[in-house]
Formats: sequence, structure tokens, C-alpha cells
Amino acid sequence: MFINYEHNNHVYNVTVERRENQFFIMYDNNEYTVTATELKPGQIFIQLGDRVIKSIISQGHDNKFVFIDGNVFKVKRIELTGRKTSEKKEGDLHSPISGTVVSVKIKEGSSVKKDDVILIIEAMKMEYLIRAPYDGKVEKIHFKEKNQIEIGQLTAEIKKGAEKDGSH
Amino acid sequence: MFKKILIANRGEIAVRIIKVCQEMGIKTVAVYSDVDRNSPHVQIADESIDLGDPTPSESYLNIAKIIENAQRVGAEAIHPGYGFLAENPDFAKACADKGIKFIGPTPEVIRLMGDKIEAKKTIANADVPVIPGYNGVKQDLQTLIKEGKKIGFPLLVKATAGGGGKGMRIVQAESELEQSIESAKREAKSAFGNDSVFLEQYIDKPRHIEFQILADEHGHVIHLFERECSIQRRHQKIIEETPSPAMTPKLREVMGDAAVAAAKAVGYTNAGTIEFMVDGKHNFYFMEMNTRLQVEHPITEATTGIDLAKWQIRIASGMELTIKQHDVLQRGHALECRIYAEDPSNGFLPSIGTLEKVEIPIGPNIRNDTGVETNFHVSSYYDPMLAKLTVNSENREESINKMIWALSHYIILGVTTNISFLKKILEHPEFRKGNITTHFINEYFHDWMVTKEGLPLDALIALAVYDSLHTQRQEVVRYKEADPHSPWQHVGRWRMGA
Repeated sequence: MFINYEHNNHVYNVTVERRENQFFIMYDNNEYTVTATELKPGQIFIQLGDRVIKSIISQGHDNKFVFIDGNVFKVKRIELTGRKTSEKKEGDLHSPISGTVVSVKIKEGSSVKKDDVILIIEAMKMEYLIRAPYDGKVEKIHFKEKNQIEIGQLTAEIKKGAEKDGSH
Repeated sequence: MFKKILIANRGEIAVRIIKVCQEMGIKTVAVYSDVDRNSPHVQIADESIDLGDPTPSESYLNIAKIIENAQRVGAEAIHPGYGFLAENPDFAKACADKGIKFIGPTPEVIRLMGDKIEAKKTIANADVPVIPGYNGVKQDLQTLIKEGKKIGFPLLVKATAGGGGKGMRIVQAESELEQSIESAKREAKSAFGNDSVFLEQYIDKPRHIEFQILADEHGHVIHLFERECSIQRRHQKIIEETPSPAMTPKLREVMGDAAVAAAKAVGYTNAGTIEFMVDGKHNFYFMEMNTRLQVEHPITEATTGIDLAKWQIRIASGMELTIKQHDVLQRGHALECRIYAEDPSNGFLPSIGTLEKVEIPIGPNIRNDTGVETNFHVSSYYDPMLAKLTVNSENREESINKMIWALSHYIILGVTTNISFLKKILEHPEFRKGNITTHFINEYFHDWMVTKEGLPLDALIALAVYDSLHTQRQEVVRYKEADPHSPWQHVGRWRMGA
């Protein structure tokens, strides 16, 4: 998952992947592997090597507030694509990361079921699966295997339900 | 003793007074405006009255509405807290006229102390030093210039009806005098509708040191030592402490006597505060008297063990002060920080919003006075003070360290607060040495920013973890994994088999 945080007019790009309570975080060309637990809603206890990070985070309407080491930082999660998440069309599948398309599993025009893998993007030693958000028809796939893809770019467009092959 | 008291205020001070009434077995009546309907002070009171429109003049400042309601519910007394109607002589008078006891001094004393020129004249007559200046009624330019030259430079031009620095000018030299008087008058006229000004000597390295007094209605007056309130932003205190690091036993005695003399000179009753300006050479001058409970009263309570709010109620009910001056002892050191919803890196602009989370530090000798809680909405109608944090210890050094700890564990999320700023002040070497004046913040924190260094790595890690935990599970496969026992191998197989 690729996230941009804005704080005081600076943008910070972070990649995070999770497996159980382990998190792999990439920031500024460094990778941090941490274990973390959410003790209470918003209260996060993180172990980074022999160091402990204690943080409390709240989610407001527009901003997150992060309490850490006695200080509070007001942070906004932003999209760098010029679109806001809420403005996206539901069936538009954007890439969560910049990388290479390693596999396209579905052809344009075919029907898919919810959670079917449409394409796989590789970045920073990890693979990201773009899956169908619901049953429907793949209207358009914008990338081929080996294509470079940038964060936020549209990978595929899926039309919801009704036109499933053989459904009527 | 009263059976029922109406508290004509909101926020932390209403909470403070309601709690002390409960301790004393007195029923309480809270008042609230529409935006305060679910506030803590309303929740804890025995009864509450809806004052409607949140505009202060329609609710918390509406004398007729408050008195009418007090009569209706049978409240025998009204505690005004501080701010709002606390120093309004018309309110005190209106209470008296309806047979309701106003918990504070008489309307006459409030009126007298509210007029800064008259207050100074009266206090000077009691042989309490006042700042050399001109307080005359003759307000023509010629007289003011003549009097200004007599006082000498630098001097201050201040609006008689003033406050908050409006209609105030520092005049460094004679050549600036005429123009400064004229512009101060213009500003005073537009801000207060009254262009009357007074002149006074400008004090170098000024400290704001005030004395708490208690006076009963039987002629007894005691003081409860000093509070140093020099740390101010926009002429408002944000950190207060007692004892003052500038104080000597001799000065304390002289100033304490002066405070008692000032209170006696005006026939003061109930709790009050005499504010003095103290210069670098330990000269002190009477500035004004606050005829109410002060915001910073908890530090006096912490070092003397005397409950000021409780004594206010006892005195108002006619009880005699049973504490003699020699019974009042000052033990250890106490420090208070005012926590505001404001942005110190942006001109202390108030920060409006909903408090997503409030968690307070708890520990020995840590007191938290607040009228807010999680989900409280900080509106633009009222003062953005969220809480007062008070700590006390054996000495100043330990109080500072305890306060830094407490501030570091004070969690308010949802609005910008001054907590980090307060901490930086306490950590400043000159503050630690006790070298403070009312100019401290302007001098050392003029261009302060909360985060010059940007977002710390730990915050980014925490955010990434949080967002990962709160986003629907992302699919991830590590394929360049050499270790055959790695859990990633399992994930890989699982994916392929899916």
C-alpha cells in the first residue's frame, strides 16, 4: 500500500505492507520491519528492533492527529494523482504503487467474479494484486505485461454486475 | 449555609465550582447555551438551565435571563466564576436587588476597581505604591504632553477603558509623544467608545506578580502569598507559578502587607487578587485588582492547602474567616499551565474542531481542571482554553520536571493545542533559571514553530501502521525470498492455489 502524507506543506511517501502483526515500511529508500499492535482504538504499540514507538492516532474528518513522544502532528492523507479518492469511479482500479506489471490475468471483455485477480504489479520486492471489487465485466485494461506503471494510474475499468455472460 | 447555588459560567471553572458545592452538600444549578448542552459542567450539576443562543450576550452574559432563572429554581446564591459576568457591577447589583447573594465583593467595590484611574487613586491613598503617571480627567493634548514630560521616558499611553493591549503605546522619546497620544486615543475610541487615556512610567524588565487575598464580611483580611504570572502571550497569562523565583522573604512581607492594605482600603470582601508590576530592582507597583476568583487559583491552593472556592462560598454565606495570617503557610512550589486550543506557530490563532481524543496525565500532585472531554466540540463562541494543568513539588526544579512529564502525557487530538509550546518554554534555560519577564515569549519565542524538523520518522511509521491496520487487507506476495521456511513461501503457495 502506497500512502502520501502531507504535513506543513511537505509530502511524505510511504509504502507499507502487512502480514499479521508484522509491517514492512519503506520510506526514503530505507525499509523498516516492525511489529505492531493496536492496544485500544487508535493506540498503537510498535516494536522497531530494540526500540519501542508508542503512538495514539485519531481520524478526524480531513486530518489525522498523531500523538508521539509528547508532540501532536496534524497530517493529511493525500492522493498525488490530482484526484481525490472519493472522486474515483467505483469501477476504476488504480495502482497503489509505482512498479512493473508482471502479469495480466484477465482479457478485456471477460467477466470476473469479486476478488478475481486482474493484474499483478511488482515493486520493491513485493507483488501487488489488483482484484475485482465486485462481480462484473472488464471493460478496459490499460497495461500489458512488463509495462511500467506509476502510482495512481488507472490499471483497469470494471463494469458492475448485470452484463455477466450467460446470466440472462 | 446556602442550599442551592447557580453557577453562571461554563467550562472548567463551572466544573470546579459545582464540584466544591457538591463537597459542601450544596445543590447546584448549571446554565448552558445551545452549543454546551452536553458539556461536562451540565452533566455533573443537579439541575441545568438552557440559556439558548450561544452568542454570549444572549446567554452567559444575559443578566435578566440568568437572574430570572435563578429565582425560578430557588437558587439563594450565584457564583459567577471568572470572565463573563464575574466583574460586572450591574450583575452583582441585580442579584442583590432580587435578594440573591452574589458570591464576590459588593457592586460598589467591583465598580470602583473596574475604573482603573479611580482604583489607582484609592489604592495610592492607602500608601500602596502605584506606577508614577498621570490619571487626570483633563484629556486635552497640551495637558497630556506636559504630564508625559514630567513622568519621563520611556512611558506608556494606555486607554482608560482598555484591555488586551488595545489603545496602548510605548513612547521611547519626547518626539514621539504627541503622535502616540493621538493614535492611542483614536484606537481607544474605536475599541471602547471612550478615548480617555492615562500615562505611566514604562517599567523595564517587568514581572507580573500578584497576591491572593481573602476577606470576610466581618473585617478580616488575609493574603495567601504571591503568584508569578509573567509568562504571557498577547497580554494573557499561560504559565503561572508560586512562589515567584524573584521573591525574597522581605519583599514578600512588604508586598503581602500592601495587598492587605489595598483590600482594606476599598472595603473588599470575598476572594480577590492584587496585581503588581515588579521591576528588576524589586520596586513594586499596584496595577489593578481582580474582584473574582482567578484562573490560576489552583497553584495557591496547592501551596497553602486552602480551598479558595470553598472559602468564597463560606464568606458569602456570612461565615467568619477562621484562618489567621500566621496560619497561612507556603509549602513547596506549584506550577500551572493553561492548555489552549490555539496554534502558537500561527499567531496563537484559536483552533476550532471536535476533540477526537482527550487523555489526561494522572499522577501524584498533578491536578487537571477541565470542562471538556472526548467528542467535545470547540466552537468559536468562547475562549479556547481547554484545561488547566497544575503540579506541585518540593521545589521549582521538580515542579518544572513534573510539568514537562505531565504535558508530555497530555493527549488532545482533533484540534491544535499549545502543549508543545508550553513544554518548550519550561525547557528554556532562562525559564529554568527563573529569569522571566512579561516580555519572555516575545523575546525568546517570537518565531516559534512546532515542527521545524518536519514529521519525525516514528510518526510516519506509526501512521503507516495505523493506515495499514485500518485499510482492508492488501494482498502482498514476497517472491524473492530465499528462505524455504519463511512464512512468505506459504503465502506464495496460498496465492497460487487460489
